[in-house]
Amino acid sequence: MEILAVKDLSFTYPMCERPCVNHVRFTVDSGEFVVLCGATGSGKSTLLRRFKREIAPSGSEIGEITFFGKPIAEIAPEKIGFVAQRPDEQIVTDKVYSELAFGLENLGLSQSVIARRVAEMASYFGIEDWFERDVSTLSGGQKQLLSLASVMVMNPEMILLDEPTSQLDPIAASDFLATLKKLNRDFSLTVMIVEHRLEEVIPMCDKLLVIQDGVLTHNGSPREVIADLKAEDSLLESMPTAARVYHALSADGACPLTVREGRRFVESRYQNRIQSIVEAAYTHSQRQALAFRDVFFRYERALPDVLKGLSFTVYENEIFCILGGNGSGKTTALSCAAGVRKIYSGQIRVFDKKLKDYTGGELYQNCLTLLPQDIQSVFLCNTVREELEDAKADISMLPFDLSHLLDKHPYDLSGGEGQLVALAKVLATKPRLLLMDEPTKGLDGEKKRILIGVLQKLKTNGVTVLIVTHDVEFAAMCADRCALFFRGNIVSVGTPREFFSENSFYTTAASRMIKGYYANAVTVEDIAELCRANGRKGNGDA
Amino acid sequence: MRSFETCNPIVITVYFLSVIGILMFSLNPVLLLLAFLGAFSYTLIRSKSVSLKSHLFYLGLFVLLALINPLFSHNGKTVLFVINDSPITLEAVIYGVVSGGILVTVLYLFRSFSEIMTRDKLLYVFGSLSPKLALILSMGLRYVPLFRERAKTIAESQKALGLYKEDNILDKIKSDLRVFSVLITWALENGITTADSMAARGYGKRRRTYFTLFRFRKSDALLLFATLTCSALTVIGMAFGALDFIFYPTLEWGSLTPLGMAAYTAYGVLAVLPIVLETEERLQWKYLQSKI
Repeated sequence: MEILAVKDLSFTYPMCERPCVNHVRFTVDSGEFVVLCGATGSGKSTLLRRFKREIAPSGSEIGEITFFGKPIAEIAPEKIGFVAQRPDEQIVTDKVYSELAFGLENLGLSQSVIARRVAEMASYFGIEDWFERDVSTLSGGQKQLLSLASVMVMNPEMILLDEPTSQLDPIAASDFLATLKKLNRDFSLTVMIVEHRLEEVIPMCDKLLVIQDGVLTHNGSPREVIADLKAEDSLLESMPTAARVYHALSADGACPLTVREGRRFVESRYQNRIQSIVEAAYTHSQRQALAFRDVFFRYERALPDVLKGLSFTVYENEIFCILGGNGSGKTTALSCAAGVRKIYSGQIRVFDKKLKDYTGGELYQNCLTLLPQDIQSVFLCNTVREELEDAKADISMLPFDLSHLLDKHPYDLSGGEGQLVALAKVLATKPRLLLMDEPTKGLDGEKKRILIGVLQKLKTNGVTVLIVTHDVEFAAMCADRCALFFRGNIVSVGTPREFFSENSFYTTAASRMIKGYYANAVTVEDIAELCRANGRKGNGDA
Repeated sequence: MRSFETCNPIVITVYFLSVIGILMFSLNPVLLLLAFLGAFSYTLIRSKSVSLKSHLFYLGLFVLLALINPLFSHNGKTVLFVINDSPITLEAVIYGVVSGGILVTVLYLFRSFSEIMTRDKLLYVFGSLSPKLALILSMGLRYVPLFRERAKTIAESQKALGLYKEDNILDKIKSDLRVFSVLITWALENGITTADSMAARGYGKRRRTYFTLFRFRKSDALLLFATLTCSALTVIGMAFGALDFIFYPTLEWGSLTPLGMAAYTAYGVLAVLPIVLETEERLQWKYLQSKI
């Protein structure tokens, strides 16, 4: 049954000439899981908000949107739920249970009805254990799950989500999407989600919509749509690994979406006489940029150690990625290196000089800088231009272009733009060692590639980069060496090929897909290269 | 019966308001004694955390207050002795002891009150007055930790950028001002998202109700009834002058009338209610345990 019908919808923001959404038409059936994707600024979020009238930005709208055959303006707010991007800011009250009850209180329901519905939801989402906790004590993943639960408690017919996992770590993001899929499957809830992290969400969806410059260019099953994308489409870079391998090899037939399908695809079509990619042995500079020696740190005397005898060395002019789970102490290690937190035992040396011996602002001038995870905390001014002037940054010296962003407010920048402006700001101190905390949070595939390009350029200019990240794909593509952080210590170090091909679980989707068939392929490009080198299997083998 | 602190917060609030209110307006040594015994023993039973140190502090405060009054007030006929040409009178000493005792007793009561009435219980009491007020308070309580955390994040980010300096006090003030201004911008931005999130869940469309985890049970009604009856009896006694106690110029009190007797008994019951409930609950557990 048709739940949502969009007929020839165009939308133009006030003061804008070009429409942001241009003659879009599609329908959604009840119980469908729809993914809406497109580049940053393509109008996908704007389109999504047209279906939730309470929060739709004003502007001129032409066309018609109907929900169960009725104009959408007549629909009660509880029929369509909405979950936004940032978990912290969409939570209204201080306690978990009061947040769950918030929507029902707005509907004016009685105490006993609210109590029942809240209890039902809390049991379903498994949040009984933290039911009476303060919202401020929850993790990002829990907060986002709470936001979803507090929308679901109102029994919506359809739920809209605007990049709900972009601020979450991969494990929390998987949990969130799995819960969403479960709701969709168990209650035939109609889901429409705007996402840029597509690896996991695409195999779950029934329908994939692609928006480019406000125009709906593709509408169909994910297999058809991805097979239909052009090889040069930047959107392809955010697609699941298997689909990218399919595209990289210009294959035909059904497009694989999951790791399992991808494996079958390669095994059935390509030989594996040549097992591995030959790579030159990696040599690093002998000069140390940053060295940790038996570093111990804890937040308070009564608390356990966060860093437990941490030792590692980053050499000059390399890109070093530290990977690891949540709460393993990666970020803490980074802030210790930046002198923000003080260690209680051991030694940190920056460019062969003890961290303690840097006095005044010496450490932060021409030496070291830290780009934090939360980019907004870097910005102080009203426009990007002022921001850069404040930091005395010279735009012409940057390895990337910011000129089109100068008059924007820093908070209006998209994830990728924000990252680059913040980077410009920190580069103004001419650091020789750049520390980055989760730089790919909220970035799509294309933006990640741009960031990698920028980092490579910085490396050529002699900058050493230390990155702390959850993003294994990113690390595999950009790092010279990777390290696995576990419970306050580094347990293994190696070049990305060694590192990821030796790991079985904590590794890239590409490596998981091809493990045992090819020896050391860790990225899509690696797989494609090996497939080409090996050639197709004969008809008899296929 | 449940222990006193697990009763409905409204009942608890009414209880404390009655005990404290009557005590403060009475200036009667008997009521004081009853209230003090109740408050002090309840503190002893309930919270193990109250250290000897804080008891000593209360004692010190009491002694100080009891001494200050006779030093400054020289009313009263019975002169005990003279210091620096100022007479110290029995009446002033007694008045000091009673008023000091009242203050210390009120402090003990407040201490129990603030320990029992956690944040969500207070919120519930306000929420019962007005759902809107409850929402505002709840949102406020959400923002406090959020802002604190945010300010810390910003300060740390700026420090690692070399923009936050703590070398001298002027730099520190400048840096703090920057952090503050960013915090304001962020709060305004954040406010839009929160407002959207509220609107998306139908805020402002209909008259709001208020959801709470607290229930009003039969035992709560019973306790409320007991509290109100006892308080009313005491107040009636006070209104008819049965509990009058005059300090100046000489100590005077009327003979004990039946009404006075009833009022004292009522206040005594009121004062020991929490201890009775607490002990009963403990005995019940013991009994249950022995059965298990």
